[in-house]
Amino acid sequence: MKPAPTLSSAFLKPGGQSLPAPLLALREERGTGLVDMPLPTRKTENWKYSSKYLKLADEMATSLSNEGKPGPSLPAPGYKVVFLNGVMMPEASDYPDLDDIRIRSFRDLSDDEAKTLASRLDSTLDTDAVQMARLNSARFEDGLLIQLKPEARLDQPLFIVHEVTADASGSAFPRIFVEAARHSQITLVEEYISSGSEPVMVNTVTEFDLADGASITSVRLNTEGDSVQHIGATGVRQQRDSRFESHTVGFGGPLRRHDLQVRLEGEGAECKLNGVVVTQDKQHYDNHTCIEHVAAHCNSEETYRNIAADTSHAVFNGRIHIHQDAQKSNADMNNKNLLLSNGAEIDTKPELEIYADDVKCAHGATIGQLDETSLFYLVSRGIGRREANVLLTMAFINELVEEIPVDAVKETVQVQLNQFFEHTFQEA
Amino acid sequence: MLSIKNLHASVEGKEILKGINLEVKAGEVHAIMGPNGSGKSTLSQVLAGNEAYEVTGGEITLNGKNLLEQETEERAREGIFLAFQYPVEIPGVSNLQFLRTAVNAMRTHRGEPEINAAEFMKLAKEVSKQVDLDPAFLKRGVNEGFSGGEKKRNEIMQALLLQPKLAILDETDSGLDIDALKVVSDGVNALRSEDRAILMVTHYQRLLNHIVPDHVHVLAGGRIIKSGGRELALELEERGYGWLGIRDEDTANETGQ
Repeated sequence: MKPAPTLSSAFLKPGGQSLPAPLLALREERGTGLVDMPLPTRKTENWKYSSKYLKLADEMATSLSNEGKPGPSLPAPGYKVVFLNGVMMPEASDYPDLDDIRIRSFRDLSDDEAKTLASRLDSTLDTDAVQMARLNSARFEDGLLIQLKPEARLDQPLFIVHEVTADASGSAFPRIFVEAARHSQITLVEEYISSGSEPVMVNTVTEFDLADGASITSVRLNTEGDSVQHIGATGVRQQRDSRFESHTVGFGGPLRRHDLQVRLEGEGAECKLNGVVVTQDKQHYDNHTCIEHVAAHCNSEETYRNIAADTSHAVFNGRIHIHQDAQKSNADMNNKNLLLSNGAEIDTKPELEIYADDVKCAHGATIGQLDETSLFYLVSRGIGRREANVLLTMAFINELVEEIPVDAVKETVQVQLNQFFEHTFQEA
Repeated sequence: MLSIKNLHASVEGKEILKGINLEVKAGEVHAIMGPNGSGKSTLSQVLAGNEAYEVTGGEITLNGKNLLEQETEERAREGIFLAFQYPVEIPGVSNLQFLRTAVNAMRTHRGEPEINAAEFMKLAKEVSKQVDLDPAFLKRGVNEGFSGGEKKRNEIMQALLLQPKLAILDETDSGLDIDALKVVSDGVNALRSEDRAILMVTHYQRLLNHIVPDHVHVLAGGRIIKSGGRELALELEERGYGWLGIRDEDTANETGQ
C-alpha cells in the first residue's frame, strides 16, 4: 500500500521576520504541528471530490516576493486596503484612521496587541475540519486586523484586495481578523485577483468575531487566474442578536476551495449565506459550508447556486449542525445546480445533524439542465438561441447577483458573467 | 400568405398529421376545430418550429418562403406568432426584460434601432392596459404565479407588441371565464387587420361568438375533413363531431378537458 501523502517539509519554511514577536512565536508553534501533516486524499471525506485537484509541488512552497507593485484592481468606491502576496501595501491603500475603527497591518501591532491577537487567531475555526487552514497559521507574513469599538459603523464598504503575482512559482498566505464589538457595523469586500501564469497557491484565512448585536456584511469575490490554486477558509463566531451576511461569488480555476464555518453561539443570532459559483473548461470549485446552531432562537438561511459548463466540476457541501440546546432554531438551506454540458460534473451534499427536538430545518438540492420548454418559448418570440440561453442561465442566479449589496462588485460580476456567456454559448 | 400542402408530422415516431392542406390569405381569420387528439396542437407546434415534432412530408410556405427551412426564432422574426396553450413560467426573467428582448430582436431583424428602456416601459404599460393586466406584472417573472387567465392575456399582449403577420392561437379560450374571454377576444379583434392572418385552434365554438372567423375547418385523425364558413362552427356546436363520421376513438376524449 502506498503511504498516505504528507505535507512536504519544503512548505515548513521559516519566515515572518517582520511580525511582532508573539505572532512570530505563534507561527513557529503552528509550523511544528504541521510536520508530517497528512494531505487530503479522495478517502478524506471533506476532500473526496477535490483532492485530485490539489497539486502542491515543492517549488510552490516559497513565499512569493512582495517587492513588486500591485496592479489595477476593481474600482473601489469605498475604502481600500491592498495586499500583495499576503503583505499589506500602505501606499496603494486608502482607508480612514478613526478612533473607533482601527484598521492595521499585523506588522504594526505592539507586542501587547500582538499577544492578544495571537491568543485569538484560529479561535473561530475548527481546524480539524479545515485542515489546510493550519498551513496559513504557520506561514502568514502579514495580516489585516480590523477592530470596531462598540456602536462604531464604517460609513462605506471596505475593499480588501488580495493580489497574487504568479510570475514565479510560490505561495501566499493572506490573513484577516475582524473584531466587531457590540452593535458595531461594517461591510467588507474581499477580492482575490492575480497576475502572471506560473503555478501558485493562495491559502487564505479570514476570521470574523461578532459581539452582541454586531452586524457584518461580507462579500467575497474570487476571479484569480488559471494558474492559481486557491484554498480559503472563513470562520465566523456570533454572539447574541448579531447578524452575519455573506455573499460569495467565485469563478473556477485549477483548484478552488472555500470553507465557511459559522457558529451561532448567542441567542437571536442570525446568518444569511449566499453563494454563486461559475466554472468552465476543466475548472474546479468546491464550497464547503458549516453552520453550527449552538444557542437557541437562531436563524440561518443559505442559498448556493453552481453553474458548470464544458468539463468543469463544481462541488457543494452544506452542513448544518443543531446542538441539543439550540431549541427553536430555524435553518433553511437551498442548493441548486445547473449543468450546461454533458461533460460537466456537480456534486452536492446536504448534511444535517439535529440534536434538538423543537426546530425548523429545511433543505433542498437539485441538479438540472436548461429547460427545453422555456427555451422554445423564448425563441418562439424571435429571441436568438444564444440570448435565450443567457437569459435562462442568468435567471438561475439573478436573485443572488441582485442581492450583492455593493454595486461595484455587482458590475464586476456581470462583466465576468458576460465573458462566461461569450465563451459558453456560441451563436448558432 | 400561409400555404400548407400535404403536411405530415410525427411525434416520437407516431404520425399525427396525415396530409394537411390549408391556404390562409392576409386579412383572414381561420378557425381549426376538432376533438382532442385530432392534431390541432401538433399543427400549431409544427408551424412555430418545435423540434420535438418531426415533419415527415409536405411543405409550408409563408409569403412564398419555405418555413420548414427556418429555425423557430427566424420564423418568429418573419412574422409567425404562437399563443401557447400552456404558456411557460420562467422565474428569474422579468416580463419586462423578456418582452423588450423580443421586441428588440424583431426590430434588429427589420433593421430598425432598438427601443430604449423608458420608451418600452411606456409602450408596455399601454398594451398591458389593453388586455386588462396590472402593469405591476411587468416586473414579475415571466408568467410566474399568473392565473390561467392572466397567462392567456399575457400571450395576447405579446402578440399586440410583436405585431405578427400570422398569429396562431392555440386553445387561447381554454380556462377563461366569461369576463376574461371577452378581454382576450377584444385583444384578438384588435389584431385583425388587412395584412395579418389569424389561425385559431379551438375545441369549443364559444370563442367564435366573439371572434367571428371567415373560414372554419374540422380537423380529425390528422386530416382536415371538412371546411366551411362560420355556420359550420354553429352546426358543430349543435350536433357535436359525431355527425361528421368521426370514429368513436377520436371523439372519446371530446369532453375530456
